[in-house]
Formats: sequence, structure tokens, C-alpha cells
Amino acid sequence: MDELLQEFISETQETLEALAGEVVAWEADPADSDRLDAIFRFFHTVKGSCGFLNLPRFERLSHAAEDVLADIRAGKRKPDPATVSAVLGIMDRIGELAEAVALGAALPSENDDFLIAALTGIEPVAEAEPSAEVESAAVAVSRSAGPQSGPRTIRLPLSLIDQLMNGVSDMVLARNELARKLRERPADPELDTSFDRLSSCVADMRDVISKTRMQRIDRLFAAIPRMVRDLGRDLGKRIDLSLEGGDVEMDREMVEMVVDPLTHIVRNAVDHGIEPPDRRRALGKPEAGRLQLQARQSGNQIVIEISDDGAGIDTARLVEKAIAAGRLTPEAAARLDPQERAELIFLPGLTTAKAVTAVSGRGVGMDVVRANIERIGGLIALDNMPGQGLRITLRVPLTLTIIPGLILRAGGLHFAIPRAAVVEILHDTNDTLHMAEIGGAKIATIRSVRHSMIDLEDVLGIEKSGQSGPRAVMIVRSASGVPFAMGVAAVENHEELVIRPASPLIMATGVYAGMTLPDNGKPMLLLDAAGLANAARLPNIEDHAVAAADGDAETREGLEMVAALRFQALTGERRLLQLSLIERVEDIDARLFGCSGGRSFVRLDGRLVPVVGDPGVQTPDKVAALRLRDGAREACFPVAAVLDIVQMPAVPDMVAMQGLVSGVSVIEGEHLEVINPFALFAALPDEPVAERSRGRCLLADSDDGWTREILAPLLRQAGHDVILGLPADAVDPRDVVLCSAADTAQAAEMFGCRVVQLRASQRPAGPADTSIYRYDQDALMQALSGSRAGRG
Amino acid sequence: MDHLYLLATLAGTSIAIETAEVEAVVKLADISPVPGAAAHVAGLSALRSRVLTIIDAAALIRGIPTATAAPCFAVIAEIAGHSYGVMVDGVSDICRADGGALPLRGQLDPAWAPYARGIVEREGRPYLLVSLAGFIEGPLAQAA
Repeated sequence: MDELLQEFISETQETLEALAGEVVAWEADPADSDRLDAIFRFFHTVKGSCGFLNLPRFERLSHAAEDVLADIRAGKRKPDPATVSAVLGIMDRIGELAEAVALGAALPSENDDFLIAALTGIEPVAEAEPSAEVESAAVAVSRSAGPQSGPRTIRLPLSLIDQLMNGVSDMVLARNELARKLRERPADPELDTSFDRLSSCVADMRDVISKTRMQRIDRLFAAIPRMVRDLGRDLGKRIDLSLEGGDVEMDREMVEMVVDPLTHIVRNAVDHGIEPPDRRRALGKPEAGRLQLQARQSGNQIVIEISDDGAGIDTARLVEKAIAAGRLTPEAAARLDPQERAELIFLPGLTTAKAVTAVSGRGVGMDVVRANIERIGGLIALDNMPGQGLRITLRVPLTLTIIPGLILRAGGLHFAIPRAAVVEILHDTNDTLHMAEIGGAKIATIRSVRHSMIDLEDVLGIEKSGQSGPRAVMIVRSASGVPFAMGVAAVENHEELVIRPASPLIMATGVYAGMTLPDNGKPMLLLDAAGLANAARLPNIEDHAVAAADGDAETREGLEMVAALRFQALTGERRLLQLSLIERVEDIDARLFGCSGGRSFVRLDGRLVPVVGDPGVQTPDKVAALRLRDGAREACFPVAAVLDIVQMPAVPDMVAMQGLVSGVSVIEGEHLEVINPFALFAALPDEPVAERSRGRCLLADSDDGWTREILAPLLRQAGHDVILGLPADAVDPRDVVLCSAADTAQAAEMFGCRVVQLRASQRPAGPADTSIYRYDQDALMQALSGSRAGRG
Repeated sequence: MDHLYLLATLAGTSIAIETAEVEAVVKLADISPVPGAAAHVAGLSALRSRVLTIIDAAALIRGIPTATAAPCFAVIAEIAGHSYGVMVDGVSDICRADGGALPLRGQLDPAWAPYARGIVEREGRPYLLVSLAGFIEGPLAQAA
């Protein structure tokens, strides 16, 4: 019986959660009988189960609601807002009761009569129906409810899933150990094959298991419609809510972390953003305000956008308040651009609410929202259009537990650091880096920006081990704080790290954020950038380009200036590139550069990134490279040397669009070419470079010597993926089959992929002959690319 | 009611630990140090896919960290959601003590005072009853 009760409670709670949105949608469109049916079905199920489980209060409540809904279904009553509220009230009470039962507490003793009276008190148009008729209607519903769509699911305790995940991790470690042992023995191909199969099974399994942690964002959205409706009613506003992307999945823990910030933002939008209907009418906007929530996945981030068409942030008042609160001097306020003004909303204790309402403006403000989002490694961005609305974008990592990290070595030990915290990595032999020591304090100057410098070994109190090569200096920035330079023995690797919480004894040190167990089975600690800065008691002084901008702005008044990076191109010229485009500067091993299909790329972090800029010139060892990003796409721009950061006019002094260059600017008496970022990104291939982006070349006549010895190497050199013979498994529609015999061509066409037929003679056999002379390289290459583009 | 006790040696003293607290006893092969942590945190060690925080309990008692060169025994316990291993010199037996825990008699070394809970007697020999949680929470509680 207990088990049945447990099942009933959790099922009821889950359905309630999902149903809250349905009720609101139904109120908006009373003609929607599907939704009415769903709600009716819920009450009917509850009523049926509690009769069986002997829960009389549930039964009475659900019975009353069912009666009213049956009337509405029969057209005897209209679903006015009062009725909907009463139904929602009953649903809430059922939820409370369910919770009380689940906790084994005494049932709350409020009088249910009040709720039921609220429901039935609004007298129906017709007389109350005899219950027999209601029963028959109910039966009809439950029959029609038969084929419920959606995947079949079962309920599992979380601990079981965790156990499963641990089991799989153990398996991976055992496999790694086995792999190590196998490497020590003489090679045995047969054993290796079975081991490879085992490896891929284990890897697949790990992927699948990690998916069990994922949850649809629907769950995050479930409570929103109800909240918006209730708020809208309280405030007398009409809101048209749309939710998109509920099927995006994110880590279960992450969903929990985002609930509060999201709720707060939505409340703000309804309370402060969207104006009352009469005011909206006066402004010429539709009476109903639009509130849109959109979720989508972008790389390893989830992007949640909350946009409304309300008043936006009143930046003038925000500035006023900030000045009044002593947060800002009037002079500083005058220098802020509109974006910076809007971002004042993140200052603690500031709100634009004129009065504290029941809904928001109670001091828990956007500062807390931002802190919460940043704590989980996310970002929050504002797009304020005064009078037109506000769009808030939340970017949060897909999962809390797996992050990209850099592995570094210091004092003979290995540590990990989140890659997001690292801005730049240099060797201490780099010319752009200048290190000085005064009174024990270390200062690193990189391209005339000064950073406090620490050595990781000193902060952690470990011995520096002697080393032959140069040390690495990384510029580290925590989510909130000033970047600083950190010296380590070496940066060794980057890896996707599974982060686990460390025990309190370890967290007490303040410099670690967690721990991880890499494949070698030796535990490793994850460094906390902010904690390190604290532990080293670094002063919070920012020697930033912004500070430099102040000085420069005065000398060249009237001109809009932007920060730019001065560098020496591989071809020797000194050039400028807008700084905001550069994600970071990195020394990249020259061996990682390559060329495929006529395009240059570089292998970074396990994927291929296109290379832009001056091609060809390769240096033997390390290449300094700018990592660029235009928001969605990224590119790598190798340069000879990075010089410094300067202020350049937003429009070049002399505009001369040519190739990658957009013009020439004079900086400190030197003529410098300005790189046109538009041309840089326009030159990128449309699709991301992938190692198998363009299908394979299948050579049908694999026995033929010419095909094997001449054709195959030619295609391989041109960057194609070549397979000898027709594969036994399915042929990809992007594949191209090359053959010489006409009947093979016909047979190959049956595969559904494109065929290029080659002939040995120089002249075509007839006008209908579409084959290509086999030594006509241009035609052949054109056919390969053309057949892909043309018939694709 | 009879209790089962794990009998071990720690910092040269015979101790008893309630088996309900103990998950396993393992021989640690490899400990990665945690620079910056308190002296009694010997480091981290992996037990299959779990990461254990290894506590050098002898360092708490004697005030001198134990040299962790040789493979050593650790008593594994899960405390407040984290896995710990408490290093001991050796483990001798698991036994039932008829009388259960007896009150402490005599003057206890102040170093042991925060951790000793009582005495367990077996075959006429006394064992100091300690709680593993005491080694992990004890220093924290004292600091607070």
C-alpha cells in the first residue's frame, strides 16, 4: 500500500507541474478542447486513485473540480477567469496535500469548503448536473485518452543513476589500465582488435550514461506560464507569452541552478518591463505585452533569451540612482555609453522600481542574478532598447561537471585550471613579455599592459623544480576580478575534465575549486583563479586598455577610438586589428597547422579551426596566433609577432578597401594597415572545417593498377578521403564513386550517390558520353567538386 | 547489544573503531599531495573511480606529518557525502566486544582527548575507542 501511495503522490506532483501551463493556455483559448481534456483527465485520475487509496480530501476536491470542468465541456458554463483561478486554487491545494502526504506530515487543516465554494459559488448557467451524467462523461474521456503520444519512460531513483555512472567510470579506468598493460607486451593484432571493440563499447556506454543526467528545459519552463498569468492578473497587465526550445537538454543540476535567476528575470519583465494596457495603447503598442523565452544550444553552452517589448531599462533614472547612492560620480556617469549605463542595473542595491511592490524591487536584485549565473560559469548580457523592450541573454555551460580545462605543471605536480579562466599563454622567453621584480613583488608587462605576477609554486608553498626549457606565463582572469599573470613550469595539455566536489578540508585552502580524476588514475586538483588571487593577496588594480583610452581620448577628441592590437604580419608589414575580435593570443606549435582541400586549418583543442590571413609563410617552431571569434565562428590568424595595444580611430584615416585591408591609420607617426574583420570572416568556409566534411571518394576499380597507383594518390594529395573498392556498409549520399567501366557506373548509380566515369581515350566516344579523360586533372577536380555542389 | 569493532594501531596506540563507520580497509599505493592544505591532509588517492581525501591522523596526534613513502593502510569511510581514508599504522582484527564501550579512566594524553570516546576491552587488553568522523570534523570544530 505504501508503495502505491508513493507512486500516486509522485505521479500527481509531476502531472501538476506539467499541467499548470496547460490551464493557462486553456484560459487564453477556451475553445481548445484538447487542453480541457488534459486537465479533466488529471482530476479524474486523482479522484479515481484516491477513492482506492482512501484519501477523502483529495477525492472531494478533485470531484468538485471535475464537476465544473464537465459542465464546461458540456457547454453549460463558460471558462471565465474566476473559474480558472478557482481550478488553479484546487490544483494548488492538491499539490499541498500531496506534499504533506509525501512528508508524512499532518494534512494542512484549512477548510477545503472555501475553495470548493469559490469554484461552485459562481453559479453555473444551468442547474448542477446529477452525478450519474458526470460519471458517464468521465468514462468517455478516459476512453478517448487511450493513445498518449510521447516516449515511454520509467521512474528511477537518482542514487541508482549515480551508481551506474560510477560503475562506468570504474570501467573506463579498468580499460585504461588494461591498455597500459597491453602496450607493455609484444603486439598481438587479434587481441588488439577485441580490445578496440571493448574500448568503443565502453566509450559508447559512457556517452549514453552521461545523457541520463540531461533533462529537457521544459522543466525549467513549466512554472513560467502560471507565474506570468498570476502576476499579470495581479498587476492588471495582459501578456502574450511564448516559450521556445523546451526540448533543449541540459544537466539536471544546471536546471536547478538556473530556475531562480530565470524566475527573477521573468518577474522583472512583467512587473517593470511591460506597461499597463492603457499606457501601451497610448504608445501605439498592442495592448498585450509580448514576453518571449527562447532556449537553444550553442556549442557546449545553453543560451536562454528572455525578451519583452516593454519599456526597457530607464537608464537615466538608473544613473541618477547610482549617483545618489554614491556609486558613481557625475563625471564618470557622463562618460558611460548607453550599454554601460544599462549595466548599472547589476550594481548591488540599485533598482529602477519607484516603489517596492509585492512582486519585485525588494532588494534582491539583478546583482544576485548575475552572481548566481556567474557562479555556475555562465554569462549574462543585456540588450536594452529604451521604449522598445529589453532582451536578456543567459549563457550557461551545458553541464556543471564536465568543463574544458588546461593541465599545467608546477613543482612536479599537475593541476587543472578551467580554460575559460585563461586569457593568454606565453613563454617567458617571449619578446612581448617583460618581467620585473621590486621589493619581492613581481610585475609582468605584456604589450605595455602591466599585470601582477605570481608563481604558482610560491602561492601553494611548494618547491620549484629545476627545468631546462622556458617557463610558461598564463594570464588568468576569474569571473569577477582583475586579470593577473601566473607563472607555471609548463602548460601540458587540454582535456575535458569531469569535476567532482572536493572535501571541505581541501576547499578550506581556498585555492581549489574541485578535483578530477584523469584517465591515468592520479587525482588532480582544479585551481580556482579568484582564490589564487586572494591567497596571493594581489592588489585589485586594473591597468587596462580602458585606462589608456581615457588619456588618448583627450588628445584626439571628437574621433571615435577603438582598442586595436598592433602586430607584425607574417609577410613583415605592421598592421592593426580591432581588439574586441581577438579572443586570445596563443603560441601554437607549427606542426598543428595543416592544409586540407585547399583550405588551411589548425588543430586546436581537438577540432579544426580555419586559418585566415597571410597564407604560406611557416616558421619552424612556435607560431604566435590570434584566436578570433565573430560570435559564432572562430578562426586562427597566425602572425609574426604581437607588438602592443594601441587606440586607433574606428574609421581608418585613409579608407582603402583591398583584400584583407580596409585602410591605413597613423598611430604614433607610423603608417599601419588596418585589417578588415569583415573580409577576414567572409573568407571563411561556410561550413565548419571537419575532417570528413565532404564525403569520400570511392574508387570502384580497386584492382586496377592505374586507379591504385596514380588516381588514389592524386585524390589524396588534393585532400580527398579515398577508399579503395566499394564499402560493404551503407554509402553516404555525399560520397562520389569513380569508375571507368560504363556498367560499373550504372551499378554505382543504384547506390544513390554521384558517379564520375573516367575513360582512357582522350576523345569522348560520342556526344552522349559524359565521362572524363583520366589525365584531365582540371576536369576531374571540377567534376568532383561540381558534382557535389551541383547535384547536392 | 554487542558491537563489532575494527582494531588497529594508530600513532603507536591500540585503537578500536566501530565497524558501522568503516567501509573498507585498503592499502594505499599512491598519494597525490595537496599543497596549501592543513598538515593532516596527506593528499588525494584514487580508489577505483572514487577520489579519497587521505587524512594523516597520526599528524593530528603527534603534530608531525608521517612520511608517506611506503604503501600504508587506510580505513575508508564516507562522511558528510565525501570519501575519506584515515591512515593507520596497521590493522589487527575485527572483533565483538561483549561489554561495549566503557568510560575512559585515568588521565588521557591531551593529544588524544579530542578523539577518544571510551575504552573497548578485548581479552583483557584495552583499546581506545575513536570515531573516524572525529578526525575529520574534530579539527574544524575546534577551530570554530
